[in-house]
Amino acid sequence: MVDKRLTLEWIHGIVALIVGLFLLGASPNLGVLKSVVDFVGNVLSIPEYPAVVSREFLRDLYRWARDKNDLTRQLEVLKDENSKLQITNSVLVAEQIKAELDTRMEDARVTLREPHAWWNEVRIDKGFNQGIIMGLPVFQDGFLVGRVSSVSTFSSWVELLTSSALMIPVVIEETRELGVVVGDGNGSVLLTYIPEGRGIEVGMKVSTALISELLPPGIPIGSIADAGTTSGNGYMTYKIAPGASTSTLYTVSILKHSKGILQ
Amino acid sequence: MIYAFFWLVQDLLTVLTFGAMQIPEIFLLCLVYRLLTQDWEGNVPLIWAAFLGGLLWDLRWVGIPGFFTLSYVGVVMVVLWIWNTLPVSGRTPLVIFFLFWTAQSIPATLSAFVLGRINQASWMFFAAQQGCAVPVALLGAFFYVHHEKGQNA
Repeated sequence: MVDKRLTLEWIHGIVALIVGLFLLGASPNLGVLKSVVDFVGNVLSIPEYPAVVSREFLRDLYRWARDKNDLTRQLEVLKDENSKLQITNSVLVAEQIKAELDTRMEDARVTLREPHAWWNEVRIDKGFNQGIIMGLPVFQDGFLVGRVSSVSTFSSWVELLTSSALMIPVVIEETRELGVVVGDGNGSVLLTYIPEGRGIEVGMKVSTALISELLPPGIPIGSIADAGTTSGNGYMTYKIAPGASTSTLYTVSILKHSKGILQ
Repeated sequence: MIYAFFWLVQDLLTVLTFGAMQIPEIFLLCLVYRLLTQDWEGNVPLIWAAFLGGLLWDLRWVGIPGFFTLSYVGVVMVVLWIWNTLPVSGRTPLVIFFLFWTAQSIPATLSAFVLGRINQASWMFFAAQQGCAVPVALLGAFFYVHHEKGQNA
């Protein structure tokens, strides 16, 4: 019984192998093979459709994730490059500004300070021929000390901060409060037109506000020196400690105009 | 019908992972499992099921009728011979697992060599396929042991 069972299985197996071998050998010569393969593919495409759709979905998902990863990485690189470029650009701009300021800054010697107008004006040895025009800011040690008030060919007069004739709009840097700096003609510099109760404190820095292209904003003047006095009309007057030494003026610097603005 | 189902499962998984990996021979493992668990009367239809399954696989994926046909029938015959030769005491879970894993690896190995798809990518596919076949073969061995326990209970 066992032998008969095995014999039957082996007969079927060998027949199947022979048919398989025949198919393998004869298939290159079978003209209908291509049609049969196409037919099987077409029939199976129906049950395979969900798998095809799923594969496309998974492939798209994989590509999306990969692209997202790539984009994130590229974004990081670009951010890094951008920050470096910004730093480089800032350095370049700062260097350009510095270079421009170097070309625009002109040193001048004080040649006359009349005793009767000691706190009002000084004469310097640079005039129109050196590019000096009226209204240019004059510095000492980086602080505003006055403005050019009149110009002749080889010399100019500078109205000092301590002069009662020079009024300069300013801003208190900590509070952005606007006011006017004016001298009293006796060596003091005052900050006026500040409304009462604005929390102005001693030591706050004062710099120029934007008034004209000749006097750029942000030029340091000094700092608040006292608690202020009320002027009676709701405004306070504070004493300013100038950054420049107005009593020892020997040399000053003048910020000349850029050629473009002059034109 | 169960053979057609597993053939279709293998086909759908192959479509799903096409170009990414090769699927283990699930259909062949199903045949081997049936071979090991059913009575001898079912073996003859099983041989022809292997023949038809292989032929269909050839027509669907290879384009050369006869290649997987011969592989599947050959594997079934070899497993049949081993199984009949093996004493009952030697039919341990480890042997069953080895039988499953070897049975499914033969067509894959033959196709890798004979069909000329030997390059680095195909070897990676082949290795991935054989790796995936391990848990499937373990599952087959587990079901066999479970089946035997049910028979002896």
